[in-house]
Order: sequence, then structure tokens, then C-alpha cells
Amino acid sequence: MPLLRFIAFSVVRAWQGFWRNAMMSLAATSTVVLMLVLLSGLFIVLGGLDSGLRYIESKVGVTARLIDNLPMAEVETLKADILALPGVKSVDYVSPEKALERLKEAYREQGQTLDLGGATITLYASVEIGLTDPNFADSVSESLTGRPEIERITTRQVDYQKLLGIIGYVRTVGIIALGLVGLTVLFMIVNMIRIAVYSRSGEIEIMRLVGASDSFIRWPFILEGILCGAIGAVITIILVAVAWEPIKPIMVRVFQMPTAVSTEFLAVLSAIILGVGLGVGALGSWISVRSNLASAT
Amino acid sequence: MTDALRLPYVAVPEAVEPVISMVDVGMTYPNGKVALVDVNVTIPEGDFVFLVGPSGAGKSTFIRLLIREQLPTAGRVVVAGRDLSTMRRSQVPALRRRIGIVFQDFRLLPAKTVYENVAFALEVTGVTGAEIRKRVPRLLNLVGLHEHDDHLPAQLSGGEQQRTAIARALVHDPAMLIADEPTGNLDPVTSWDLIQLLIQINTMGTTVLMATHNQEIVNAMRRRVLALEHGTLVRDESGAAYEREY
Repeated sequence: MPLLRFIAFSVVRAWQGFWRNAMMSLAATSTVVLMLVLLSGLFIVLGGLDSGLRYIESKVGVTARLIDNLPMAEVETLKADILALPGVKSVDYVSPEKALERLKEAYREQGQTLDLGGATITLYASVEIGLTDPNFADSVSESLTGRPEIERITTRQVDYQKLLGIIGYVRTVGIIALGLVGLTVLFMIVNMIRIAVYSRSGEIEIMRLVGASDSFIRWPFILEGILCGAIGAVITIILVAVAWEPIKPIMVRVFQMPTAVSTEFLAVLSAIILGVGLGVGALGSWISVRSNLASAT
Repeated sequence: MTDALRLPYVAVPEAVEPVISMVDVGMTYPNGKVALVDVNVTIPEGDFVFLVGPSGAGKSTFIRLLIREQLPTAGRVVVAGRDLSTMRRSQVPALRRRIGIVFQDFRLLPAKTVYENVAFALEVTGVTGAEIRKRVPRLLNLVGLHEHDDHLPAQLSGGEQQRTAIARALVHDPAMLIADEPTGNLDPVTSWDLIQLLIQINTMGTTVLMATHNQEIVNAMRRRVLALEHGTLVRDESGAAYEREY
């Protein structure tokens, strides 16, 4: 019961304090929202890019186009040799018929029909090599270069490295931007609590003199900062939820990955927004209380 | 009025547990200002003591040491059996609930009513709502403000504001009440009303230490007087007047 009384007291005082300096509190909350919107944007873009990366990783690492009419016995020997190479997970033979079927399927996916005007085409046979790690693509390609059964080798290593570079760049820029906005948010919350402490210095003095414990004096201020972070987080979650439907098709179009816009993704994002909001609010107010109420008792 | 208050001084038996004990207490501020020098004082439970002296004599420092707002640079201060120098920070709130304090400027919260000002001191120490509803009216009755409980401080006279401050100081039923110039902002008639209240509180068993410049009150009351000059305790006399009489 004493703990419940303490919590109730602190929450009520924090709520009153938040609205007593409404302008300052709302300014701090706005910066929290700005930071969390930036965080959400970064999370969404990085989530999409990661999905793209996983997509590339899951696809063929190396494709070896075979010479025409290679006997199946030699294909099997080649497959066995490739499978013995380090970093190779799987080797699949794609016949010319299967390649043509895939081409037609790709057209269908884009709402078109492969129209050959009555002619017949024969595509190349190939082996698709799955890798345990995309970084093995170069070594596998080198090992296969010069083999007489193979006409040409293609890999998606370049795509992979390019995407990896983009992700790294976006992550770095995003983290720097987030860090700067995060510092601004901390500064705003520290100031908000400092002003609250000064504006209630009379109350604090009376609390000290009548024997209020440190917890009773400090926690309302810390909760006030947490409240600021929580309100900012809730506003951001609402904004993201409202913007989610328009964002989804863009995500699918840009990243080609419907899984990147799943409900689970939105739930994880909401949890992160809430966690970061509460964390920043608590940290800012804790820093302020530590420096401004150090000699409170 | 003053004759009625000129009560015979009743010496408190030495066996009574001291509420305050200062032993060789010295206080020098970081800027080199010497506020107290070798102060030795024992105040037993139930005593009524005046602390007098000119401005800058060390009265405020004396009080700040008692409520552990500061620690002495020399000697020991023992309040209600606790050595304040060795007291942990976490124990200070409990000490302060044993000491009520009122100031010349009342220090009431202007946006709270009389009732709320008194209740606030209980709320911030975790007292239950039921207990607050029981204690606050009783205290407002004691100080004669039960009919003004919904008034804001600005709607009260100086004397009523000081009574509110006294009610707030008594919420934890303290062993000692420290009054720092409580009549400093009051007219003479109101001052005597307030002194009567302090006597009443003292009669109920609470030790009272009152810092004052009010010669008329000290001379009329004839209680124990501690006189400070330049940080030194120059007089500790029972049944005494404001100035030395010999």
C-alpha cells in the first residue's frame, strides 16, 4: 500500500507538472515526436533494404551457363565438382525448357504474355549454385572459370555488395541524424525538468523541511520526463499507423518485398518507438534531476 | 495581555532526555566566514527557549545545523538522540519529521488552500488519505483556523498565515518546534496571539525553540534565553530577559 500511494502521488504530481509548464512540455514532446518519426523512417527504410538483401542472399549466388547440348553425364560430373567447392550449398540444373517456362512466368507476373510470334526459341541450360554465404561468389566463380562445359558465369555478388553499401550508408547517415536529434531531445527534456524544478522550488523546499524522502521529491520529475517521452511515442505510433496504408505499396514497389510491410513489422516498430520514447524521457529527466536536485536533501 | 503570559519559569529536571545537544560546535563557511564558535548547548524535552542576538550573530546557522541543512565543521550536534554528523542521508527525512519549523515569511504554497497546505506536508511523506482527513482538521482546530480551511493564503491575515504554517509544522507530531522569527512580519497584537499558541503547543509537550529580535516578548515571557554574538554563545540563562540584566 505505501508503494501504491507513492506511485499514485508521483504519477498525479508528474501529470500536474507536465501541464503546469504546458508550453515547455509540448515543445519537448514535439521534439520527441520528431526524433521518433525520424527513427521510424530509418527503421522502415533499413527494414526494406534488409529484406532486399535477404532476398538476394536467398537467390542464386552464381549461375553458370552451359554450352549447348552438354550430355547429362557431364552435367552430373560438373554438379558433383561444384558441390565439392567451399561455400557451395546447392547446385541445381536448369534445362532450356525450364528456363523458357521461367521466362513466361516472369512475363505473367508483370501482367504480360510472352509473344514469340509463332517462333520457337531455345534458351541456354545452366546450373544455379546456391552459396552458404554470398561472399563465396568470387571464389566459386574463379574455380569454375575455364571449364570447357561452361560458356559464361554470372553472379549477383555485385548487386549484393551494392545493396550492402547502400544499407551501410543509410544506416550511418540515419544514426548520425538520429543521434543529433536525440541529443536535442535530451537537451529539451533536461531543460523542461530544470524549469519545472525551479518553478517548484518553493514546494521542494517545503517537502524537504517536512521530511519528504528523496524518492517523493525526485520521482515526480522523472515521471514527468517519462510522460513526455510516452506522449511523444503514442503520437508517433498513431502517425505511423495512419501513414502505414499509403506506405505499404511504396515499400512493396521499392523493395519488392511484401514481408517488409507485415503486421509483425509494424508491431516491432511500435514497440521500438515506445521503448525509445520512454527511454529518452527517463534519461533526460534523470540527468536533470541528478544535476538540479543533487542537494535537495 | 503580557502579564497573563508572564508565567513562572519551571526548570526542566536534568534527568529529562535532551532534545538538542550541541557539543563544541563550530561552523566556518567555505568563504572563511566564521558563523559559530565552540557552542555548547543542551535543551531538554519540553523546554521553551528563545534564541536571541543581532543579525549575523549565527542564529540562522544554529537552526540550519539542527535540521541538518548543514553539518558543523567542528563538534557534534545531537537531535532527538541522533548524532547528525554520522546520520546517513537517507535518515534525514525521518529526522525532519521529528522537527517542525516555521519561518518569518510563512512559506505557504500560494495556490493551495489552508487545508491543502497542511495536508501537503502529510501527502509528501506517504500518509494515507484517511489519516490526512483525520489529522488536518484537528490541527486546524488547534491553531484556530478550522473555519478558514478553504481560504487561500492571500485571503488570510499575516497571523492566520503563520498559524497555517504552524499547523503544517505540527503535522508529524514533532518533538520540537523551531520558530525562526515567527513574529517578524506581524503586528504586536497578532504577535502575542501567536506566542499564546506557541505556549499552548509547548504545554502539550513539544519543545519550542524560537529565534527572535522581539525584546518585548522575551522580556515578558521570562523563559530560557540563548544569546549569540559573533557566533559565540555569550549567555545561556533561565528566566531571562532579552538583554543581560547584571
